[in-house]
Amino acid sequence: MKKSIEVTVNGKSQSVEVDTRMVLADMLRENLRLTGTHIGCGTGSCGACTVMLDGRTVKSCSVLAADADGRSVQTVEGLSTSAVSLHPVQEAMVENQGLQCGYCTPGMVLSAVELLNKNPDPTEDEIRHGIAGNLCRCTGYHFVVTSIQAAAKSMKEGA
Amino acid sequence: MISQEFDFEAPSALPEALALLARHGDDATLLSGGMSLMPMTTLGLVQPGMIISLNHIAELDYVREDGNELRIGALTRHADVAADPLIGAHAALLAEAASLIGDVQVRNRGTIGGSIAHADPAANYLPAMLALGARLRLQSEAGERSVEAKDFVKGIMTTAIETGEMLTEIAIPKLAAGTGCSYQRLVRVEGNFAIVIAAAITEPGRKAARVGLGNVAPGPVLVDVSGHLGNGLDDAALAAIGDAAFDAAAEAASDLAGDANYRREMARVFARRAVQSATDAADAG
Ligand SMILES: Cc1cc2nc3c(=O)[nH]c(=O)nc-3n(C[C@H](O)[C@H](O)[C@H](O)COP(=O)(O)OP(=O)(O)OC[C@H]3O[C@@H](n4cnc5c(N)ncnc54)[C@H](O)[C@@H]3O)c2cc1C
Ligand code: FES
Ligand code: FES
Repeated sequence: MKKSIEVTVNGKSQSVEVDTRMVLADMLRENLRLTGTHIGCGTGSCGACTVMLDGRTVKSCSVLAADADGRSVQTVEGLSTSAVSLHPVQEAMVENQGLQCGYCTPGMVLSAVELLNKNPDPTEDEIRHGIAGNLCRCTGYHFVVTSIQAAAKSMKEGA
Repeated sequence: MISQEFDFEAPSALPEALALLARHGDDATLLSGGMSLMPMTTLGLVQPGMIISLNHIAELDYVREDGNELRIGALTRHADVAADPLIGAHAALLAEAASLIGDVQVRNRGTIGGSIAHADPAANYLPAMLALGARLRLQSEAGERSVEAKDFVKGIMTTAIETGEMLTEIAIPKLAAGTGCSYQRLVRVEGNFAIVIAAAITEPGRKAARVGLGNVAPGPVLVDVSGHLGNGLDDAALAAIGDAAFDAAAEAASDLAGDANYRREMARVFARRAVQSATDAADAG
């Protein structure tokens, strides 16, 4: 069944025709070609598909695209305007080797942004809880945590 | 992309949703946060003929005070239950249960109504619902009724909700000042479902105490341990409370996380721990 929805993606409002069987991650990747949103498990466990829906992180493999009608979505593409003007969290990931293969990274970055929005000065424990929904098969998380600590510091200094 | 075709409706008002539910009966499946339904649908474990999304019904998302009760709309997200000031002040046990569900993203999307209706034996809310004495409001196009939390779960993932009915509200009696509560979960890895849950409430002056146990039977189990409080919470009382929990967990199941006997023993340990820490919390004021 096809359905036409109105959705704001990275600040731009648009109408998209979706198959009602599509999940939000499918719509972002296939209709809008925003392939920064990755699909890992497809069943709500890994967090690779994390995006912001109305300002809160959700797993976009477990939200129907048709249910995003009237909502606002932010993906990793919406965080920065170009490769030379990255969001502080992205910058810190690069500087601190917070990624290896990069598959989990867009989701990890959005979870970190959500965490720092709510809690600009998190403890290491709070950071680990904040990214508990994002699995990483490469880094062992240590440098992810260091990156988020560095991002918190640079965002505070920048503010 | 889900392989199975289904119809999709996203009503923006409750009467519309109830009318759809009345019209489509068993063919219709309600969608709240989708944190259980979506993975199951993607995997083909459930094949809904029609999905009715409740996510656009703003009137189902609220927490309010009504005399001696708190009323919580079914669509209230776990993260909002965890952070709500009214719930924090009058039903802290529930806030604690919500804050320990899954991970940030699951709490941002999953709802209290969806979790209770889903009735997973390992789910966080139900043991707390029993200890708190919650009532669940079920509405259909034909009318409504109210079911005590303790009468709600009929078996594994089977509830009192009939075809055409929807869980719309959870009513919780406010806890009196001086009440102690404690929510304890045995879990190996953060974000996993619990192996055993014990949610304890001790009434002011330790007049009564009860423990809601989770994942030790097809549904949550309520254990009244008031009778053991007579001489204060000494070792004998704690041992008796543990025994009561062990007995109440007679229907525990075995799975990869632990066999039935392990669960029963852990019910003993966690019930004891929960009552102890609830009394400590009450004493600390
Ligand atoms: C990675 C992960 C970890 C998790 N960990 C935990 C955990 O530790 N503890 C825990 O308790 N839960 C956990 N969950 C489950 C989570 O809490 C779900 O949000 C919850 O079980 C279902 O709520 P929902 O709003 O997402 O419902 P949905 O998935 O939308 O619906 C669940 C079921 O309830 C029915 N339903 C939904 N709303 C209503 C209604 N108003 N009336 C009648 N029926 C309705 C649906 O038809 C469906 O059958 C986890 C989930 C994930 C993905
Ligand atoms: S792809 Fe969505 S959680 Fe794994
Ligand atoms: S960097 Fe490879 S999964 Fe995280």
